[in-house]
Formats: sequence, C-alpha cells, structure tokens
Amino acid sequence: MSRKIVLWGSVAILGIFIAIALAAPLLAPTGPYAITGKPLQAPDADHLFGTNEVGQDIFAQLVYGARITLLFGFCSALLAVVISTSVGIIIGYYGGIVDEIVCRAIDVVMPIPMFVLLIVLTTFFSPGVLQVSLLMGLLGSVHGIRIMRSQVLSVARTSFVEGAKAIGASDFHIMFRHILPNVMPLVMVKFVTTSQHMLVMGVGLSFIGMWDTSTVDWGTMIQNAYSGGGVALGLWWWILPPGIAVVGISLALALIGYSFEEKFNPRVGVNRI
Amino acid sequence: MTETKDGVAGVQEQPQSPRALLHIAGLKVTFSSRSGPVRAVDRVDLAIREGERIGLIGESGSGKTVTGMAILGLLPVNAKIRGTIRYGDHDLLTAPDRTLQQIRGNEIAMISQNSGNSLNPVMKIGDQVAEPLVIHRICSVPDARREAIRVLSELGFDDPEQAATRYPHEFSGGMRERILIALALICHPRLIIADEPTAGLDAGTKSHILRLIKTQIAHNGTLFLITHDLGAASFLCDRIAVMYAGEVVECGPAKEVLSLPLHPYTQGLIASLPSAGLHPIPGMSPSPASLPRGCRFCERCPAALDRCDCDHPDLFLTECGRQVRCFHYD
Repeated sequence: MSRKIVLWGSVAILGIFIAIALAAPLLAPTGPYAITGKPLQAPDADHLFGTNEVGQDIFAQLVYGARITLLFGFCSALLAVVISTSVGIIIGYYGGIVDEIVCRAIDVVMPIPMFVLLIVLTTFFSPGVLQVSLLMGLLGSVHGIRIMRSQVLSVARTSFVEGAKAIGASDFHIMFRHILPNVMPLVMVKFVTTSQHMLVMGVGLSFIGMWDTSTVDWGTMIQNAYSGGGVALGLWWWILPPGIAVVGISLALALIGYSFEEKFNPRVGVNRI
Repeated sequence: MTETKDGVAGVQEQPQSPRALLHIAGLKVTFSSRSGPVRAVDRVDLAIREGERIGLIGESGSGKTVTGMAILGLLPVNAKIRGTIRYGDHDLLTAPDRTLQQIRGNEIAMISQNSGNSLNPVMKIGDQVAEPLVIHRICSVPDARREAIRVLSELGFDDPEQAATRYPHEFSGGMRERILIALALICHPRLIIADEPTAGLDAGTKSHILRLIKTQIAHNGTLFLITHDLGAASFLCDRIAVMYAGEVVECGPAKEVLSLPLHPYTQGLIASLPSAGLHPIPGMSPSPASLPRGCRFCERCPAALDRCDCDHPDLFLTECGRQVRCFHYD
C-alpha cells in the first residue's frame, strides 16, 4: 500500500513539473531574461523566489529552466531507448556475425566514461542543448543495447516465436508483433530510469558550462548562484530553488522507475502480496 | 513419378502411390557438435499422399521432430541438410525464404506441442488465432477475427467471443492445445504437421484432443503426426513409419504394423506398452554422435544375426508391400 502512495506521489511530482514547464509563459509572463527587480532581492510577493545578481526573477528562470532541463532528459532518454531497443531486438533476434560485431563494439565503448567522452566530443562541436541531448542519447543507448539484447535472446528462443515462423510470419513481423510487446515492460522501465540519469547528467553538463551559458536551465542557474557567491553570502533563495527542483524530479523519476521494475520483474525487491 | 528413383535411398516407393503431396527423399540432417557430427536424421524417404494420415513414431532423439522441422524449414542454422523435400513445384529445402513464408501456415501448418510458451503471452487469443489469415492477407483484420471466433467455437470453446479477448495464461493446458489447433487449421492448410499434440495432457483431455484432430482432419486434408504414443498413432493414422536412431526402420499400414510388427524394434516397442505387460527393450538407443557400423538396433536386438553387427540393412520391401529395415526380411 505504501508503495502505491510512493508511486502516485512521484507521478504527481513529475506531473506538476511537466505542467509548470508547459505553462511557463502563463506562470511567468515576463520571461526568464527580463530584469524585473533590484539585484539579489529576497523573496516577497512580487518575486516569489527573489532575484539574482542582475535582478532577474528566479521563479521565472526556474519555470523556464524546467522546459530545457526536462526536454533534455526526455529527449536523450527517448533516443537512447529507441536505439537500444531496435538494435537490441535486431541483433538478439538474428544473432550471428552482426551480433558479434555489435557486441564487441559495445565492449570497446562501454568502459569509456560517458561524461569525459562528452566533454571531449563537445569541444569539437559548437554544441546547442539539442545537439548535446542527441549525442547523449546516442552514447547512452550503448548500455541499453546489451540489456535489451539479453532480454530479446530469452524471448527469441521460446516456442511461440518458432510458432510464428511456422505460420509464415516474416522476420519483421516477428520482431515487431511478437518480440517487442514481450520486452515492452523493460523498455518502459529503461525509459524512466534513463530519463532520470540523463536529466541529472544534463544539469551537470550545463553546470560545467557545456553549452551556451546564457541558456536558462537549472544547471546554469545553480552555476550562476554558485559562482556569484550565493552560498558564501547565504543567499539561499538563489541556489535552493533549482537545487531542490533537480533533487525532487530526479527522486520522483527514480522512484517511478523502481516501482515499474518491481511491478514487471517479480524478482526485484519485496514481492507484492 | 520419376523422382522416386533417387539412388541414395535404396527404397522403392510403393507403386500404387497416387500423387504425393509431399515427397521426402534422402533427407539427411546433421548437426555439428564438439564431439563430431551428430546424425539426427539419416536418409529418410517418405511420401505423404493427399488425404493420407501418416504417423511418424519413435522415441525421443530418434529424429522424428527434426524431420517435421525440416519440412517447414525451421531447423537451426547449424543443421546441415541434404536430400530433397518436394512439395508441388518446390523443393522446400532450397526454396527461398519468401516462398517458404507463403507456404508455412497457409499450405503446410503445424500443431506444435503445448509447452506453456507456445503461445505469445502478451497477445490476445483472438488476435493470435487470426494471425495466419492476416499474415497471408487472406482477409481483412475484422474478418479474420470473426473467422477466429468461428474456428474457436468449432473447437469446443463455449464462449468463443469472450475467449478471444483473453490471454493464454488464463487457459488450461487442454484449452491451449485447442487454441494451437485452431491456429493451425484457420487457413485450411493442405498438410498439417502435428508434433506431439497430446504431450503433457491428462488422459481425458488427450482423448478429447485426439478426437478433435480426427474430426477436423476428416474434412480438412492430410495429417503428418509425429509422436511417441502408439495409441494416438493407431487412433489417428492409416499409415505408420517407425523411426529408430535417425532412420525409418519400418513403414506400413497402421493396423498391420501395430498388430503384426515386423522389425524387432517395433516388436519391442509394442511389448513395452502397459497393455502388453510393460516389457521394456533392454539397453539404450545409440548416441547419434557415434552410430554403429551395422544395424543400429543390433546391440539391443534379441534376434540379431552375425551380419547385423557389420552390415547396414536397407529398407526391404516385403511381399505384402510393407517396408522393413532388417536382414530377416532380406
């Protein structure tokens, strides 16, 4: 029962953040860049979370930043999951030489730390948020391919797949209609956990200034507050809102992921009674 | 019928055979393994005539399932296959994938054994039974679904419309076997291969399923039954081929083979039935990786001759038109 509460609580938090991101122009009509007050104003009725060092409204920045941060997390997770699922299904189903080549290639890429690889890669591109997000999706799929492949292997050797062949189904039909629905629960879990992972990593990347620092997202907000001395001066309203937002959404996504995993995989965690 | 003289076989196809629907000639399936090649099926010749019900009998590992899989081209890639399987104008062993896909399920269908995951666990029964019609584009999806419900009701589902919306795990083993039969029958195939359709079912359900197959086949064509169950074979089939260690050792009309078995192995098989006193054949069948040079049943044979040890018997044709692989009938 308490697990259900956790799940629905997490879904509610996620829903609220998504709603805030969607309704940003309504919630903060001035936009994230407008200077609406004096610098470093403490929270009051006009400025719910106060202002930053140039007098921009922190609430407006938080609301608009949610758009970039969420979009970043979901976009790269979506790409990662789509790639890993399709590649995993294809190599798991066909096996043989293609499987061998892809697996060895993954062995090579896997040990390279993604964060470092990203830093190196982004020095060669002039990266926008979207480019970095796609790049991360691409790199993030590597790990997922393995997981999907092993799951597909266990499905592809079952007799209903053979039965599908025996009724004249094409390979595409078998992969799309029979194998994909059977690995779908794992795909869902993977999507949620990857979004959490990607979102936090996106905040980290923007914190170290991976892309245009004038973009307003939660990472640059924390970076601003940090380098502007928000911590040292005790200006809590500057650094806490984006920080809490990141923690909150990441926690919500992680908990949703765990709940899914428990639901679909009875071997994980305490069993439902 | 010139293709019956294939040389490799050493078998004379019975002269009265009308148009053979499926003609297996010199089928040889070898799997490569660490301990050398494993000869799962060795020079099997079998003609299945239109409207015939033929049973392939043998113990586990005798190569009967491999033979069935070879017909549909479902053997794993590490299988080396020789010989021909003629079906109409096609040789199923060399036909391109496209042709095989068109034949499978539509013209040659398989009733697979119910092993618990022979149905897709996340697909509704109605959709699964309708799938062959959809794949072969025989009719539209809604029509296929209606046809699936009709076939399900024919196979003894009380409320087929409701059953069609349920998932495989909601059905008992016997019901799942019915679903598998529906799946095989829905396209009205010319040949139905049934591989152990009653495995794992209790006696009551088993006789239901056998009766069901019999009535369905009666107006629906040709049956190729693969089983180790002599009772099922005698109930369903009018011709029986007995396999031992990858070879056909005896072939003839079902009644004659079962009442008057010629080959010592068939005799032993029948003596080992509970109704005949449960006398098992001593010993084990030879490993397909190291087959004896002579007759493969020689070691266990109570009537072995001297030559059985070193010479390999052909499939001899007896005066009464039956085939048997034993020097006693040379």
